[in-house]
Amino acid sequence: MEQNTHNKIQGKVFEEFCDSIGRENVFDNIEERVCYSFDATKEKSIPDLVIRPHSTEQVSNTVSIANQHNIPICPRGAGTGLSGGSVPIKGGIALDLKNMNRIVELNARDLTVTVEPGVVTKDLQDEAVKHRLFYPPEPGSAGFSTIGGNVAECTGGMTGVKYGVTRDYVLALEIVLPDGSVIHTGSKTLRSVAGYDLTRFFVGSEGTLGVLTKITLKLLPLPAKIGTVMAYFKDIDSALETTDSIIVKNHLHPRSLEFADKTCIDAVRGLAGKGIPEESGALLLIDVDGNEMNVANDISRIDVLCRENSALKTSIAKTDDERDVLWDVRKSVSTSLFKIASMKFNDDFCVPRSRVRDVLKKVYELGRANSIQVAAFGHIGEGHIHLNVIYNDVKEMDLPVHKLVSQILDEVVSIGGTITSEHGVGDTKAEFIELELAPHEIEIMRDLKKMFDPKDIMNPGKIFV
Amino acid sequence: MKLFQKTKTEDSKHQRVLRELIKVVGREKVLSAIEDRICYSYDGTKQKALPDIVVRPDCTSDVSNTLKIANEYEIPIYARGAGTGLTGGAVPLMGGIIFDLKSMNRIIEICPGDFVATVEPGVVTKDLQDEIAKFDLFYPPDPSSAAFSTIGGNVAECAGGITGLKYGVTRDYILALEIVLPDGSVINTGRKTLRSVTGYDLTRLFIGSEGTLGVFTKITLKLIPKPKKIETLAAYFSDRDDAIDAADLIIDNNILPRTLEFMDKMTINAVRGYTGTDIGEDVEALLLIDLDGTEESISHEMPVVENACKESKALATKVAGTSKERETIWAARRSISPALYNIAPHKINEDICVPRSKIKEILQKVDQINEHRTIYISNFGHIGDGNIHVNIMYNDDPDQAELAESIVNKIMREVVAVGGTISGEHGIGNKKSQFMELEISPKELAIMKSFKNYFDPKEIMNPGKMFLS
Repeated sequence: MEQNTHNKIQGKVFEEFCDSIGRENVFDNIEERVCYSFDATKEKSIPDLVIRPHSTEQVSNTVSIANQHNIPICPRGAGTGLSGGSVPIKGGIALDLKNMNRIVELNARDLTVTVEPGVVTKDLQDEAVKHRLFYPPEPGSAGFSTIGGNVAECTGGMTGVKYGVTRDYVLALEIVLPDGSVIHTGSKTLRSVAGYDLTRFFVGSEGTLGVLTKITLKLLPLPAKIGTVMAYFKDIDSALETTDSIIVKNHLHPRSLEFADKTCIDAVRGLAGKGIPEESGALLLIDVDGNEMNVANDISRIDVLCRENSALKTSIAKTDDERDVLWDVRKSVSTSLFKIASMKFNDDFCVPRSRVRDVLKKVYELGRANSIQVAAFGHIGEGHIHLNVIYNDVKEMDLPVHKLVSQILDEVVSIGGTITSEHGVGDTKAEFIELELAPHEIEIMRDLKKMFDPKDIMNPGKIFV
Repeated sequence: MKLFQKTKTEDSKHQRVLRELIKVVGREKVLSAIEDRICYSYDGTKQKALPDIVVRPDCTSDVSNTLKIANEYEIPIYARGAGTGLTGGAVPLMGGIIFDLKSMNRIIEICPGDFVATVEPGVVTKDLQDEIAKFDLFYPPDPSSAAFSTIGGNVAECAGGITGLKYGVTRDYILALEIVLPDGSVINTGRKTLRSVTGYDLTRLFIGSEGTLGVFTKITLKLIPKPKKIETLAAYFSDRDDAIDAADLIIDNNILPRTLEFMDKMTINAVRGYTGTDIGEDVEALLLIDLDGTEESISHEMPVVENACKESKALATKVAGTSKERETIWAARRSISPALYNIAPHKINEDICVPRSKIKEILQKVDQINEHRTIYISNFGHIGDGNIHVNIMYNDDPDQAELAESIVNKIMREVVAVGGTISGEHGIGNKKSQFMELEISPKELAIMKSFKNYFDPKEIMNPGKMFLS
């Protein structure tokens, strides 16, 4: 941990923040600051100040004072990120947006909703359901994560295989730029092509270009019914064959198609999921949605396809409760892995679906060659894998883990994959972007960063080394 | 026709450029005869401006080499697909070089296992749709010009089309781009995977940039499974507002039709004269609705849709039982554009988009603006998305052209006032650049211009488009 226990923002500058944003929204005591020193990567770095704005104006004031004094500013939602995005690695201000959590307006007729960035993803989903509407992106962290964080990282989640990712649902943004000015991008219409697409340029920019203060999202009608099948297989090949049968050969269009390997299954056993077959080497969890009749048909076809590919066991959820039980298994995977070792590096690469088999084979080989355990799960319907490198948190492991991660990402890129498909680059993957992006492309991105943020105050140290 | 009077030095510069282009790209791909140049002087807006040179590249390196020369000599250059655009995007307003990308029309690969295809920009949209259908896959964006327009043009304008309500627009289907920048360098943005968030989203910065930032030379698209079945329903209304109510009620019933198209009385009149279709005189508006999915989903949804129309006081509804009946119903929609010329020889085709709850209001405003019926206005379009093509028709009388322009001006102000956008899918081009400041604040415009300036400091790429010059 960077020992930044001393608050470097004092005296006149501190007073300036207090005067402008209100003393009650500025926190300099160590207890508060420590709470903002980490995210889900377990990286730690203590900010000098925590500021908790309630309005766009307060965000704008904070940013412009920070800009004047060259103080780093790190916007933060729920801190559930997995690439260090909200860790204030250069100190400065942690901008806690959780109090800006109003659903400003939900317009059912227009299929749009405008929210503040601090709204928790699940709260928005629930609100939409009340109007029989649907906000599809569903990261694993939806119960805690915020829409602002989802947009900043362009998160994907469980429903991407049918419904796409966060980017596909963002229509308009209110953004506070590093100089404190406020811009509005996009339009609250389902289509707009007036000028360059600033909206999507900011989606996925990881807090490095500005602070999102209002977000307008597109909603869909709520599917009438969701059906769920869970299937256990003796090996990964059978699970991948089944994925192929469902998606490629039969063109069933599942809402989710999730995968977990043997290590994940063994970690979950005992915590969730009763009656997991002893010899399970892989699982698939499949959701389909639509009208009642379609769902019933698709579920029974998928069940048959699983069994044709020698599933050891299949379960079909008959009620919402049964569905929750099946999903508990998948949702417990990430945390259960800490049963194996105290630390993990969570990769989220994506490859063309036809290359999943090759990349998994290679990744397990690399794990064995380096004598480090790896576990794979993820949104396999899209060729996406959360590859977790699991190890004990001791100094001697730093180098070998780094070497393994770097070999894995090398392999991913060489077969046409991407080093991050939903977690973002943050600082944990910044050194790897040059595997995927050419020097000229990185230079363009850096130049554009400089155009918006010449003093490099917005989330410094992220995306770029 | 707009012709630029060149000075002697400019003329000799053009001669030098021509010689260099011939040397680098090859004589057979460089045209300078007046007959050839005239073919590239217009687009769907009927504006005209003559290019000096036409280059027809057939590979990325041709594109790169040409741009290097254009950049060095600071000669304007315009990427062009099929020239079906409706805002002047492909018109060489300032003279210079036209890039005809129609020879770069290879479908490089379709990966049915990955649901991904990579194409060159000159591939005709319909050719791609057809090729993909062979694998039982589906590329949803379907602009009305799909039979002629190119994927490169669709991406440059971020075309929407008739399937947008259910399936989104072109932007939602682009995974990766190969782009030649104005200095001739080649970059690759995005990734051929269904997801990627590595770095800033340059891909989407270039989508809809209307050829002002660079030239696409390869485009990787996302595909989805092809719906097993499509069924069509036409519903006729005696009141325009009833049709709008029906559209709302269908969506309120949690149904997203594949297409939900609207035509007003003026449009119907034009089509009636053109195709001889037997739409009754009492019909003030019609909805044309496609549902897609499986046999079961359609048989569940169609009665709900039909009821919604009846509940909204439809005069009649008609489900197409056969593919022939479906064709007949759709022929009316497809014939709108040519049919409108029966009303008057000129039109301004606007493509405003408003929140769906504001459609009635905006159409009333359009009526009020044209209160004295001094001009013909036909409204049709993608009502589910709130995207209405407002077509202002006028004759050869010079006063009429001026009147049409002033009506457009008033409509644009009303559109922005109700929270709408000046362009849903056609782009800005030069036809709408004067309206940008209605919707976009000075600060945002300045940001857009600084993007332009960063990528194209010499302003050679499609000058005079998007921004007022």
